[in-house]
Amino acid sequence: MPTALITGSSQGLGLALAERLLVDGWIVHGFARGAQTLAHERFTAHAVDVTDEAAVRAAVATIAESGRIDLLVNNAGAASMNALLLTPGETADRLMRVNYLGTFHCLQAVGKVMVRQRAGRIVNVTTVAVPLSLEGEAAYVASKAAVEALTKVAAKELASSGVIVSAVGFGPIDTALTRGVPKAALAKINDAIGRPQGTTMNQAVDFIFARIVAPDLKSGSVEYYGAV
Amino acid sequence: MLTREQSLALVLRRLAALGRELGKPTLEKADEQTRLFGEAAALDSIGLVTLIADLEEDIRVATGKTVTLADEKAMSRLTSPFRRVDLLAEYVVEVTRN
Repeated sequence: MPTALITGSSQGLGLALAERLLVDGWIVHGFARGAQTLAHERFTAHAVDVTDEAAVRAAVATIAESGRIDLLVNNAGAASMNALLLTPGETADRLMRVNYLGTFHCLQAVGKVMVRQRAGRIVNVTTVAVPLSLEGEAAYVASKAAVEALTKVAAKELASSGVIVSAVGFGPIDTALTRGVPKAALAKINDAIGRPQGTTMNQAVDFIFARIVAPDLKSGSVEYYGAV
Repeated sequence: MLTREQSLALVLRRLAALGRELGKPTLEKADEQTRLFGEAAALDSIGLVTLIADLEEDIRVATGKTVTLADEKAMSRLTSPFRRVDLLAEYVVEVTRN
């Protein structure tokens, strides 16, 4: 049975993807800061803040001691919508730490395990807001652009070790969080990516899952769900 | 902790395994003076990264300790512990002593 590690697995896309992988027979480890509700004999919850490098390393070492890590999905993230000139510096700092540094720490710790295995697949979650250069999300977009750049460099550095690194990006996914966002703002983004009906959780999970199992996934690729 | 001899044996054994994997027979004949990176080195940069990742696991198996060889401390040294086999072996002794 293959083993996956998903960050941000307590809710939203991370939780839905964990459930899909479990149905597909995977062993799944999930990182989240708080309590995790998913209960399954092949699921292990780890209380890990991805911005805490030492905690990430320790948890990854624990997982690796029990076997392989075939897949890492760097899904944990934070978002904030605000005009550039009104965005507090501490918000920009937090987004960069969670979105970029969190991905960096997990990629580095799991990347070492995968290099030793000479195999593995890493999928980083980004957003269509990057190619759209979305107004009102400067700090968020910058942090995810860093994730995309990291994806491309990591893909080159790890290619010879059989480790594939790629990224997938979405528009607003229909969750409790996005239901609180003004409809006009969501419609503007969804129209821009040719998905006026929006993106459901199932569609997002299907999109990632197809890349997880794709035999010919191109390392360094950044793919978006929608017409970007 | 590991003795110098044990560390040296770990490094040389791992280099030999890497040599077989990469099809570089010279790595199987490495000794204390073998250069690991730089001009006329035995490894390219990716090979060195692979060696370090593999060694960290070897150290964990041998000592039960999870260590990071390539940290700020190692990188900021005037003489890099990754330059030559003997320097790397001595660095492994130091790291496993802590």
